[in-house]
Amino acid sequence: MKFFIKNTLMSLLLLSAMSHNAFADTSTYSIRVDGLACPYCAYGIEKKLNAIEGVKFMNMNLDEGIVTVKTQNVTLGDEQLKQLFNDSGFTYRSKKVSQTKESSK
Amino acid sequence: MRLKSRHLNHIAIFVLFGKLVSMPAMAHDPVFGLGPHVLFKGGVEIAPEVKQVKAGDKDKTELALELTYGLTGDWAAGIDIPYIDQSNGSNSASGQGDLSVFTKYRFWRDDGPGLQQSMAVALQIETDTGDDAVNSGSTDGVLGLTYGYEGRKWYRWAAARYRFNGENDAGAQQGDKLLLDLVGGIRMKRTGYLEPDTVWILELNGESTQNTQLNGLDQLNSGGTEWFVSPGIFWTKRNFAVKAGIQVPVASNLNGNQQETDYRAKLVLEWHL
Repeated sequence: MKFFIKNTLMSLLLLSAMSHNAFADTSTYSIRVDGLACPYCAYGIEKKLNAIEGVKFMNMNLDEGIVTVKTQNVTLGDEQLKQLFNDSGFTYRSKKVSQTKESSK
Repeated sequence: MRLKSRHLNHIAIFVLFGKLVSMPAMAHDPVFGLGPHVLFKGGVEIAPEVKQVKAGDKDKTELALELTYGLTGDWAAGIDIPYIDQSNGSNSASGQGDLSVFTKYRFWRDDGPGLQQSMAVALQIETDTGDDAVNSGSTDGVLGLTYGYEGRKWYRWAAARYRFNGENDAGAQQGDKLLLDLVGGIRMKRTGYLEPDTVWILELNGESTQNTQLNGLDQLNSGGTEWFVSPGIFWTKRNFAVKAGIQVPVASNLNGNQQETDYRAKLVLEWHL
């Protein structure tokens, strides 16, 4: 009986840990931004994106005018992005989002 | 009276030398001219810089610290704190320069893929706060209008600035100055966001200065026109930039007996935080 209770408790703990931490909603944003001509001037974008909790990665392709952002458990809305890029001195045009479940460990 | 005679001595130096007219250059702006760049909202720019002028047996070196804050994505303001060391033959003087406050507002922006065109107005007020030994003793201002085209490969700018000078306690007033800038730039190699980036710049800077006045009378050996060709470089990596350039006079028509400018040089280090 003692052995059964011990095993059950261990299993519950393991399941609980897996369900809470093993997977997170990861979104990859491909954001079309106009005005991206020089890398130095675009630093404000990096700073503002990294200030958002849940943003895990960002990069810019200046030639294509694409800002790539990976987030976990956070959604970036059109109005938020429009304001963010305007405050950085650029113009937000559109975004494409792909979502995956990724291990967070 | 003592103050007055001291001012008159300084006027003599300024009549011969004049003041550097330099509005804060932000991000990818020309080195000597004015461009429409501002700073992202909440951003801070720290820019120590050194400027040097040589004209005959006169030398002037100015060390300055510029601090700029981005009020919005299109509006920035800041201060410029200079220290000046100058000599005229065997006479030399050094001390704190006049503290300036400045602001720039980008009132038009047209963004395309890898391209930004914009226009801005700028205002700088030079307060009468520096040491008498190296300053004019007046409050002066500069008003500027600028257009910029910035692409992934080519850059071009045009700007006009007008410097209006106040009268000091001794009744002296340096002549107002009109400045025109036409600038081109090229990025030979397109680089990625985090890679070092270099833009080569070539500026044509024109300056037309009115006569200095003393108690309402024109000083003959003052004022005139100078044109400079100014090659420069703009090197950046992420949020750090180095700007450097040299102004070489190509045409000069100065009133009376004045020494023409041999060269002006400028080096700026700039951080965006």
